[in-house]
Amino acid sequence: MTFHSGTTRRGFLKSSALALASLGIAPRALSAPKLNLKKPIKIGCQTILSGPLGGYGEFMKKGALLAMEEINAQGGIGGSPIELNFRDEELKVDVGVKNARYFVDDWGADFLIGIDSSAVALAVGEIMPSLNRILIVTHGATEKFNEDLVFKRQIKQCFRISVPVYQDGIASAIVAKDLPVKKWATISPDYEYGKTSWKMFRATIKKLKPEVEFVAESFAKFGTVDFSSHISKVMAAGPDAIFSTEWGGEAVTMIKQAKLFKVFEQTKTFMCPMGAAMDVLQGLGADYPDGAWASGRYYFLYPESAENRRFVEAFRKKWNSYPSYVSETSYAALHAIKKAVEKAKTLDIDHVIEALEGLEVSRPAGPCVIRKEDHQAVYTVPWGRIRHDPKYPMPILGDLRVIPTSEYYRKPPFPPVEA
Amino acid sequence: MLLFQGLVGLSEAMYLWLVAAGLSLIFGVLRVLNFAHGSLYMLGAYLTYAVFRVAGGSFWIALLAGPLLVAAVGWVLEFGFLRRVYRIDEAFQLLLTFAFVLIFDDLVKLVFGPVYQSPPTPKELSGAVFIAGSILPAYHLFILAVGAAVGLGLWLLLERTRFGLIIRATAADREMARALGVRSSRVFTWVFVFGAWLAGLGGALSIPVRAISPGMGELIIIEAFVVVVLGGLGSLRGAFLGAVVIGLLHAYGLLYLPVFELALAYVVMAAVLIIRPRGFFGVREA
Repeated sequence: MTFHSGTTRRGFLKSSALALASLGIAPRALSAPKLNLKKPIKIGCQTILSGPLGGYGEFMKKGALLAMEEINAQGGIGGSPIELNFRDEELKVDVGVKNARYFVDDWGADFLIGIDSSAVALAVGEIMPSLNRILIVTHGATEKFNEDLVFKRQIKQCFRISVPVYQDGIASAIVAKDLPVKKWATISPDYEYGKTSWKMFRATIKKLKPEVEFVAESFAKFGTVDFSSHISKVMAAGPDAIFSTEWGGEAVTMIKQAKLFKVFEQTKTFMCPMGAAMDVLQGLGADYPDGAWASGRYYFLYPESAENRRFVEAFRKKWNSYPSYVSETSYAALHAIKKAVEKAKTLDIDHVIEALEGLEVSRPAGPCVIRKEDHQAVYTVPWGRIRHDPKYPMPILGDLRVIPTSEYYRKPPFPPVEA
Repeated sequence: MLLFQGLVGLSEAMYLWLVAAGLSLIFGVLRVLNFAHGSLYMLGAYLTYAVFRVAGGSFWIALLAGPLLVAAVGWVLEFGFLRRVYRIDEAFQLLLTFAFVLIFDDLVKLVFGPVYQSPPTPKELSGAVFIAGSILPAYHLFILAVGAAVGLGLWLLLERTRFGLIIRATAADREMARALGVRSSRVFTWVFVFGAWLAGLGGALSIPVRAISPGMGELIIIEAFVVVVLGGLGSLRGAFLGAVVIGLLHAYGLLYLPVFELALAYVVMAAVLIIRPRGFFGVREA
């Protein structure tokens, strides 16, 4: 058989697809509704792909690619296949904005997803009305994105499919209030995310347990390779618990160095909201101290549902690694787009926004609703304690604590956080 | 506390010193500003980690072999590439070395993957000692000792050996040295290889305490440039002092001026450049 002419090849593909379908391998392929939308539907993804936090972006990319493969195997979105394009966000505002403009103006993107930095999410969010596209953030967690941009200023093009900083700053405090510690200190990133989470954490725990004290704080710039002087500064204040929103390779470095400084012998509690990300679990391995509290934006062993198990297995089969949370959030973002477009039956932006508002998305992380008022996905992510289990090639979370979202998601009209 | 914070700052400075020493040495002799020097530090980390995995988890064997592999890479760089651009415009040297930054970054991503790697701290050095009422990791003491030893070794090498004499002669006046029978091209190669080994050693020493990741080279090269400019281009004494100043500024800056800490190093650099444009120990261009 030759493949010189396009029709022959298409014919061949069609017949093989039919053959596969008749074997029951792709049963859903035939059930996808035909909407006659433009082909392909282009989705521009940006994430951090370089530098010491670049491991994050790779996990995001892998989740998005898996979703694309699955969606396209099922006939795409209303019959149109998805095409993805990835760009490095570099965690820089100007780069993020440039990427967004490139995706829309030059590449012809229909949707934008991704973004790890809160500052970039806010900056790109600002220009979404002028770009007239929908942005679904998969990681950047600042509450200003959903509370200010969407709720207060009504920038309707912005959505977020990952949990906001409430997970880091409020759920953490609800877990922390029950622990037998009083003197808290932090080593956290010196930018929006680190500052906001620490502020929320202090405000929340102060209310729940007024006798707590905050004895020291040290904020490390992006790109810190040595946390030694941060650790010695904070430890000099004699804290009995450390709260840290360091993430990625910086969390790995910080925890390793804290271990050398015997921080885990001198303090009783260590809490790291981003500590259950797969890159941190894999990076630290046996060095991850037992009993440290960690969370993320999804954790692969929660919930114990058929859908989650299937996702984890598919991810492992394709990439030979367990998924990190950004893999799940980018995967969920693409599925949310598919569901909304098929519900709206058009790519017209106003109709898709309407379809996304209040949309129930079933995703590996469990049931999820996209809140209408602030376009924030509402779903639960557990907190847990680091445990070493020989069944897994990296540390896992035990003692999972699931706090209902009604207890820690801030609600409209979002009163100011006072710390 | 005051003394202790200073010690911690000094231990952070030692990695910087190892990178800056090679950078400064290479500039002093070859007159090449090697952008890829940070990448050699990164390669030191990755190659040492690779040896660590292959050699069944002995950090000490890895520490010996990793920097030597980087020295070999340095030889290829100098002998195969840099040598060809000495005579043309400096901009091309920058372009060439910068190209290697990008190539090495992508190469390690391709070979090792994007996941952060980090072997455990060797058992012998995972303890800690009490100093001034605070806990200082034994590994940090070890780093301080290595930094000091390299400093002493370099001084002995340059001031007390024939090879050092040749290096100094070539740095001072390469035409004259050549006229006296020094094969400067060979000196260039060895100096570059040695500089690469120093950067590789810095990277190798970092792996038990710092996550290895692509892009780690760019982070250190910027600070190393600041150090070298502070100390005076081409001066090893200057590089040592520059690294110490940057390390202490960082440690004490966090303590007393946390809001301003980021800018501190650059402010001091600007001040030094205004008062002494050649840095602490810079020599006037011949």
